Amino acid sequence: MVVRDTKVKLKIDGIEVEADPGQNVLQAALDAGLYIPYLCYYPGMKSFGACRMCLVKVEQPGPDGVMKPLPGAPASCTTPVAEGMVVTTNLKETKDLRKGIMELLISEHPHGCLTCHRIDLCGPSDICLRHVSVNDRCVTCPKNERCELKDTVRYMEMDLDTPLTYNNRNLPLEVKDPLWDMDMNLCIVCGRCVRICSEIRGDNALTFISRSGRSLIGTSNGGSLLESGCEFCGACIDVCPTGALVEKDFKWDKPSKIVKSICPHCPVGCELKMEIDKKNRLIRSVGNLEGPANKGQLCFRGKFGLNFVNDNNRITKPLIRVNGELVETTFKNAISVVANNLNKYSGKEFAALISPTATNEDAYVLQKFTRLIMGSNNIDVSSNVVPEITDEIFRMTGIPGSSSSIWDLEHSKSIMIVSSNLTEKQNVLGVPIKKAIDNGAKLVVIDQRETELTRFAAKWLKPKYGTELHLIAGMIKVILDEVLDDHDFIEQYTLGIQDLKKSLWSFDIINVSNISGVSVEDIREAARIIGNDSPAGILYALELLPSQLRAECTKALINLALVTGSLGRDSGGIFPLFDGANEQGIKDVGCSNTFLPGYRLISDNSSINYFQDVWGSNLNNSSGIPLGQFNREVFSGQIKALMTIGENATLINGNDSEFKESIAKLDFFVTTDYSNNEITSLADVIFPAAVFSEKSGTFTNIEKRIQFIRPGMTSKDEVSEDWYTLIQIAKAMGSSKFEYKSSEEIFSDISNEVSMYSDISYDLLDKEGIVWTPNSWSELFSDKKSENSTNNQDILLKFDPINFTDDIEVITSKEFPYLLVQGRVLFDEELSNVKLENGRYKSQTNPVFDLHPEDASKLGIVEGQTIEVISQENKIQGIVGLKSTQPGVVSHKSMFGDLINQLQISKNFQVSKNTDLNLVPISIKKL
Amino acid sequence: MTANFSQLKIEAEQEWSQLVNSSKAWIRIGSSMCGQAAGAFGTSVAISTQTSSRKLDVNIDQVGCIGLCYLEPIVDVLRPGSSSRVFFGNVSSESIDGILQYIETGKLLKDQVNIIGYLGEQEIDGLSSLRDLSGFNLQQRVALKNVGNIAPGNIQQYIANGGYQALNDSLELGKPDEIVKVMQESGLRGRGGAGFPTGLKWSFMVRSPGPVKYILANCEEGDPGAYNDKGILEGDPHMLLEGVLLAGYATGASNGVVFIRHGHDGPIDRTKEAISQAYSSGLLGKNILGFDFNFDIEISLTGDSYVAGEETALMESIEGKRAMPRFKPPFPAVSGLWEKPTTINNVKTLAYAPEIIKHGEGWYSSIGVNRSKGTVIICLNGDINKPGMYEVPFGLTLGDIIHEIGGGIPNGKSLKMLQTGGPLGGVLGKESLDMTLDLEEMSQAGAILGSGGIIVADEEKCAVDMTRILVAFCQFESCGKCFPCRLGMVNLLEIVERITRCEAREGDLDLMKDVGQNMQMGSLCAHGQLGFNPIRSAITYFEPDFISHIKDSKCPTGSCEKLVYLPKNTRALGEINRENQDKQYIPINNII
Repeated sequence: MVVRDTKVKLKIDGIEVEADPGQNVLQAALDAGLYIPYLCYYPGMKSFGACRMCLVKVEQPGPDGVMKPLPGAPASCTTPVAEGMVVTTNLKETKDLRKGIMELLISEHPHGCLTCHRIDLCGPSDICLRHVSVNDRCVTCPKNERCELKDTVRYMEMDLDTPLTYNNRNLPLEVKDPLWDMDMNLCIVCGRCVRICSEIRGDNALTFISRSGRSLIGTSNGGSLLESGCEFCGACIDVCPTGALVEKDFKWDKPSKIVKSICPHCPVGCELKMEIDKKNRLIRSVGNLEGPANKGQLCFRGKFGLNFVNDNNRITKPLIRVNGELVETTFKNAISVVANNLNKYSGKEFAALISPTATNEDAYVLQKFTRLIMGSNNIDVSSNVVPEITDEIFRMTGIPGSSSSIWDLEHSKSIMIVSSNLTEKQNVLGVPIKKAIDNGAKLVVIDQRETELTRFAAKWLKPKYGTELHLIAGMIKVILDEVLDDHDFIEQYTLGIQDLKKSLWSFDIINVSNISGVSVEDIREAARIIGNDSPAGILYALELLPSQLRAECTKALINLALVTGSLGRDSGGIFPLFDGANEQGIKDVGCSNTFLPGYRLISDNSSINYFQDVWGSNLNNSSGIPLGQFNREVFSGQIKALMTIGENATLINGNDSEFKESIAKLDFFVTTDYSNNEITSLADVIFPAAVFSEKSGTFTNIEKRIQFIRPGMTSKDEVSEDWYTLIQIAKAMGSSKFEYKSSEEIFSDISNEVSMYSDISYDLLDKEGIVWTPNSWSELFSDKKSENSTNNQDILLKFDPINFTDDIEVITSKEFPYLLVQGRVLFDEELSNVKLENGRYKSQTNPVFDLHPEDASKLGIVEGQTIEVISQENKIQGIVGLKSTQPGVVSHKSMFGDLINQLQISKNFQVSKNTDLNLVPISIKKL
Repeated sequence: MTANFSQLKIEAEQEWSQLVNSSKAWIRIGSSMCGQAAGAFGTSVAISTQTSSRKLDVNIDQVGCIGLCYLEPIVDVLRPGSSSRVFFGNVSSESIDGILQYIETGKLLKDQVNIIGYLGEQEIDGLSSLRDLSGFNLQQRVALKNVGNIAPGNIQQYIANGGYQALNDSLELGKPDEIVKVMQESGLRGRGGAGFPTGLKWSFMVRSPGPVKYILANCEEGDPGAYNDKGILEGDPHMLLEGVLLAGYATGASNGVVFIRHGHDGPIDRTKEAISQAYSSGLLGKNILGFDFNFDIEISLTGDSYVAGEETALMESIEGKRAMPRFKPPFPAVSGLWEKPTTINNVKTLAYAPEIIKHGEGWYSSIGVNRSKGTVIICLNGDINKPGMYEVPFGLTLGDIIHEIGGGIPNGKSLKMLQTGGPLGGVLGKESLDMTLDLEEMSQAGAILGSGGIIVADEEKCAVDMTRILVAFCQFESCGKCFPCRLGMVNLLEIVERITRCEAREGDLDLMKDVGQNMQMGSLCAHGQLGFNPIRSAITYFEPDFISHIKDSKCPTGSCEKLVYLPKNTRALGEINRENQDKQYIPINNII
């Protein structure tokens, strides 16, 4: 390979600096460790050129090679680097100019402390000898010592007085919105918040308002954030250089340390900086700009949903059930109780479930414990309720999870999202998707529900319940019929296209259109988008699909990816959207009823032999019980003892009430958890579990990036990491195979036994997360392949014919004949209903139920009438609309703001779990 | 359908000759903004009702402004059999009778109607030619050659008067580079204010890759006292369209956007009409005039924003964003509107192109002085006898403009100040009357010619107050993006304001200079960079006025004491500071 030397060399203050072409001088300087003051620039965003703090002197060689100065004082953030450029940042005239502009700036910003020689000496409660008003002091600002303006003023060595008249704006504080506070007296109108909201997040919730000296920041429609299209990602707060935008919680608290870790809420794996205060509380989380998975972005859950770690009701001591009551006991005693009880069970009688927020190390120890000591393969991750979406990929392509990395999506030409509410569940994935759309990519959404991303869709298809497979197969057929397929890719990397074609005979487009209720034209157009604009990014959660269809549908989507040549290439790929934060890693290290660590099949003798050798003990070689059959096996008496590991290890998205019933039937139930909940109240033994901010270990995210989570908080009392509790139990049960002293030792075992994790160590991970790709893929798409391609038939990707099943669960009934489709959107002028309640904005969506006109006339209902919608659990009144596009379907959407209001109330962050947008069978009553 | 130009031209000329040699009289009513303000609408209604009641069969056209705005509404009549037009000024419904009598009998009743003169080869007894009129004789109308003469809503009248000939010839020749070369050698410089050589600007864009490239015609024209862009669009929109087409062909562009400030209904409607006529005549769209050249033009409107006229802010505005300037590089010729190569020209600049192409670079460069070639359209306002829109060659002195063309200062007062080039331009004292109209000479004197607006103030006006009004305008019109301009203008205004109130502090002049210098060096766009100009030039020419306010606490003319409106609402202030909320800022043009 030819290495191209594309770097540009320039001199900044006499120091030779190398920069990428097209980069600006400021970023080049920052990259080289040099500092030029700046306020409106923010790394990762486009330059703006407003604050004029980064003004420099620039000389540049002209076409004749003679150095020529650029006119005036160019801003370094808007000056692109050029070969041979000479930049001087600290000339006296430049410094004076900056000071002059800063003087103007602080004539409108409270600066009583900024221009005082006691700036570093005073505290908030000190008496000010200069009689500076409290409002004008830095020491009373929530961002004090985290303020970029203050840092810049310090750097500039400002004079202590200015001849300009000081004007405090005296604007009232905006504290009515949930989660954030706004103090426009501190705003310097740098526009970072506005720009990150539109440029990076694609929301446009914030904007500049008014002009000239009256310019400020506000919501686009002047109202509450709840109705402005805000997704409460907090990006604006993270970029604000002053105290103008701050979080409501812990607003005034100062961190005593800042530790990088990974958000435990979803599999995107956002790296965040945890700010921990002296009282050992997580007071704030800020997206880490260097975070490879999130590039500085977080979502409402990662930004505002981490308060649960500070819960006062944390379990801090082990509890055992004595005479039906849970009582505190010592750690040692609890261990021996568990060991004694577990000794009674073996093989299939024992099952283990792990929370998706457990680390790879916890998971590895648990599966080793289950297999080695309990002789059972009944082990799974509790969020694995839709296993088909990943299992089928592994079967067809050999890759257990998504095929590309998150930020590849940014360059996708087209994107397809199937039945997923990803902006709420895997929010930050939406960032590159919106960016791609901004760059001209087209989005196809297949979903009955209206979600945030349907607004961005070039084509939003709403197939009838259970007809998604037909629709996708129909799209593949259109692509093949209209020769939009990637012929070269199919030739070079795949086998079996003919089988696929044969299986598609029955998916005649008119037939598909009749079945799915999507018009022929819409199907064609959607297919053309994906076919013409490949490589495509295909993301799917298949949330609303009947379980019988999921496997087949995943197959169809992989076929679609293969047909369009979207697999194995940058900027395309297939992404199964599971929910668990570390679900990927937990499966990688073997918490699975069918796979040993590293996806070695239990049914494969060589795998069993390998681990019997490594672990030095006999292993059970029959597959365990899948999670879906768990409850049944408990009721049948097959499973008698259960261990659940990790914080709140309930069945995410599963049927919780049934799960609780089955737990009550168990003989012995041991759990580790951080706080009391409905599940722990059923336990025989509870160990206090550490939360993510107290743990050290690794998470593997949706793109298979192994990342380091670091302990920022110290654990109280007997709170311990799950792997530690587990090895204590193992030791008490007499095993000597669990001699781990730290999570690092466990990881080195993982690295030895799991091929994907080989050669990876904590030292390496400490620097940056590492993405693993399966070996077969690197072979398949490497240059070597073409030399001896005939010998490599077995690694070629195979098409899998699509089979249609009629056996679909019908969820509507005579009693509940209609299907309620629930959507949720950031912004809807008609539905939004924000009121001021006790000085706080509160969102309550106007309840509108959209019926199909046919249904409405059948029921004798007209638009605007009030009806009652009745489901098994609930009765709601609402107003009739007629916008539903399908007979039998009633659509209803709520505002995201409602969810945020709930989030604010819920301390332990149950929001994402309880408010899934499901399909609900309903009946309609006229009122 | 692709039209053939010669066919179009023959049809147009037939139409024109029918109109000129008709047995009916041809009445042209000046209906530009100036005419309408003076009551042209009423005049025009009265003319049509009275002609029909007298059963007079006449042709009536509403035309643009011939420049003598102080005489509006102007009506001119071409009698059958005559080849000269007779111009009547200040025509009200009462004086129409005199005009109609002239049509009927050929008699001119001087006591009934104000007769300005005649225009044409045929002498008319007792009347002087318009060309001998002092406001007219120094003029040389190039870009305005059709304005006031043809009906702007009639493409055929434009074609009959030589319109689209340059475009057709250029397309026939098929050498776009040649156009750029001609423009370069003609010495035409941008008329928006900066005076950048137009041909050079076009040549930048030639190199940029296509296929989508934009030509933007800028008619934001926010300078108080400038109305020549609007004058062209209202009086002769096809001249601009032809200019845009020529620029488009020369630079390989595919699209044109005419950018007009919203609310200027006359120019907007006329341009819309002209665009649709051009499309239906095959002068826009695909295969223009049958040649392999495709070009589309649309109109885009701005909000009320002065800075939207800045070239990059204009592009933001067209894209639907807040009109805030972008930083450069990238320059528009590389990445402009929708990130495509873009050339932005002022309406006036583009309107020169057809004539230059038609008559050649030598003809154009023979007009004017030094590096300022050709003509310039001056808009005279303020304390002057004959306010109006005059196209004059470069090289005249300001004295010629004020005294010869403008007819001097009313009521026998003497001149005190000239404010040129819009609020960012600056002010000049009476000693500058000897200065020639020359871009370089004027900018050396601290004022710019800008877009051609000149506001005249007599001896009773206070220089400090005038400065305050200019600074208030600049402050109000700052977009609020870059810090030096947003905050500097507010502070400058507050200082000037306290000087007018005679509450100045020691060192205020130096403080203003400091702030102004920082703004000039530090600002992102020309608005901030030039924002200190009015104060600097005022101090240069009228320092005694300032000193008198500061030291003696007295306004020499007394006009500062009569201030009613103070621009208080310049900062984003909360309730507590909003005592003067009711005293809303009044835009400068309402005050003058």
